[in-house]
Amino acid sequence: MKGILFAIIGGAFITLQGVANAQISQDIGTWQTATVTQFTGFMVALLIVLIVRDGKWQKFKQVKPLYLTGGAFAAVIIFGNITAIHQIGVTLTISAILIAQLSFTFMIDINGWFGVVKKQMKLPQFIGMGMMVAGVVILGL
Amino acid sequence: MLVGLSMALIAGSFLSLQNIFNTKVNEHTGSWAATTLILGMGFIASLIIGFIVEGGDLLVFQNMKTWYWFSGFIGVGVVTCLIQGIKLLGPTYAISIVLTSQLCFALLWDSLGWLGLEQVPFSLQKLLGVLIIIGGIIVFKFGGERVAVK
Repeated sequence: MKGILFAIIGGAFITLQGVANAQISQDIGTWQTATVTQFTGFMVALLIVLIVRDGKWQKFKQVKPLYLTGGAFAAVIIFGNITAIHQIGVTLTISAILIAQLSFTFMIDINGWFGVVKKQMKLPQFIGMGMMVAGVVILGL
Repeated sequence: MLVGLSMALIAGSFLSLQNIFNTKVNEHTGSWAATTLILGMGFIASLIIGFIVEGGDLLVFQNMKTWYWFSGFIGVGVVTCLIQGIKLLGPTYAISIVLTSQLCFALLWDSLGWLGLEQVPFSLQKLLGVLIIIGGIIVFKFGGERVAVK
């Protein structure tokens, strides 16, 4: 039950984040919004890391350098998210993001890119994907 | 419409890439250390691109309202909830609920037009679209074992 609650609140927070960013960007611009929100989030996380001390910084060296750059994608993600919300509304934006995300993950899984364990996709995955696209088409009509 | 849709699709693709990269970082370091690095990287990237696009105007914060400084904290809430949810439920179950919750709150937001967003009126058609997407998520995530290929 606790896990379900965490998952529900987590999802609500993700949507809230997009909406808050879209709102802020109307006043200060999209890139400012991305910069400020990432900076304040970074400061809070840094503070927590200093308190809970789970920062084993030398362990970062064990990670392939390419993977350390993942966070930088947030610039594109936030920009895309804000622009989309302004243009097509929250529901359609979240739906489209979701489909792109699952399709891309799907491709990575099938091909085993980035050292991910290769997975075979079966009929249910294709049906599920088809249903999601159909849902977005209905939303966009 | 098309611009908005493409922007969302680009954001989604990068998001899946980011999730994989971040998971790799997480495997080696603690989750808070990883979160700090991820947000730090995002900050640096936004700062650099922002400077290229907007020049010195990037650091002019005229219309800043107080709460804008705190909205970044939401990201910390996201990470905490996702990590706890996945730990307690496992990734498939947790992510399915997260995605469903995301969509439901999005519909709620559009319908109410909170936080100064333009209100997008609620309709049965919208509800149907969201329900079909949620059905798709459930079929995708729970429909049969996805066998690992050796």
